[in-house]
Amino acid sequence: MKILIADDSRVMRQIVIRTLRQAGHGGHDIVEAENGRDALAKVATESPDLVLSDWNMPEMNGIDCLSALRASGSQVPFGFVTSEGSEDMRARATAAGAAFLIAKPFTPEAFDDALRSVL
Amino acid sequence: MSTVSQERYDAPTLDDVAFVVDEVWRSLLGDEEGLDRLDHPGHALDHRVGTWTGAVSVTGEWRATVTVELGADAAGPLAARMLALPDDEPPTDADIADAVGELVNMVGGNVKSLMPGPSALSLPLVAAGRAAHPSELVEVTRLDAAWHDRAVRFTVAIPRH
Repeated sequence: MKILIADDSRVMRQIVIRTLRQAGHGGHDIVEAENGRDALAKVATESPDLVLSDWNMPEMNGIDCLSALRASGSQVPFGFVTSEGSEDMRARATAAGAAFLIAKPFTPEAFDDALRSVL
Repeated sequence: MSTVSQERYDAPTLDDVAFVVDEVWRSLLGDEEGLDRLDHPGHALDHRVGTWTGAVSVTGEWRATVTVELGADAAGPLAARMLALPDDEPPTDADIADAVGELVNMVGGNVKSLMPGPSALSLPLVAAGRAAHPSELVEVTRLDAAWHDRAVRFTVAIPRH
């Protein structure tokens, strides 16, 4: 399985990869993207099975990336990993077609629960 | 110190900020790496070693600036730990800026979630230097803490009423 991780912070991409490993999901192929626009392009070229995306990113944010993916016909499972976990954000994520929203700070258990819902 | 009574302003409590910071710090560095909260800070930031500052802004129903300040003696090891760098590979300035930015992004995002919404969180800004609020902002919450005896400070400032 291939997972695309979109975050403008290299530190956070590393932490997400480490947390995936701690959650028992360390055997997947990982593709990294630096923002929503990069993620949009890499969904087309890399055909990931899941996108884990930050919300707040330069160039193109996560929610715009998700909207663009759905508008283009892509139904790739998409989950947010973001520092904002308010009910308003969760509602917007769900309405745009996100499978889940993991709020930072997160635990390996939160990742496992979320990934099991889409794998 | 320009801190004011929280009753007059819509501000997170010190305990709220301390809880958020503790959760974020442990998630980034592990449970064994908690921050020591300093209710009566005996040592302020030592600006002689250089200071890194990260800031995010919240705009909308609630407006604020959330900052973190930490010395280079804390920022470097923080970045190295977050990136899991080997001992012989010191973090670059870009690594440190990335780490400090993510730290303040996570703290700011969680503080924002505690306050009235809807509101939006800016991208983090990071610089080498002290944080100084412009006159239209007033500091309402300040958390002084220590990590391995190195000072770390978080503040929340909001527009004056």
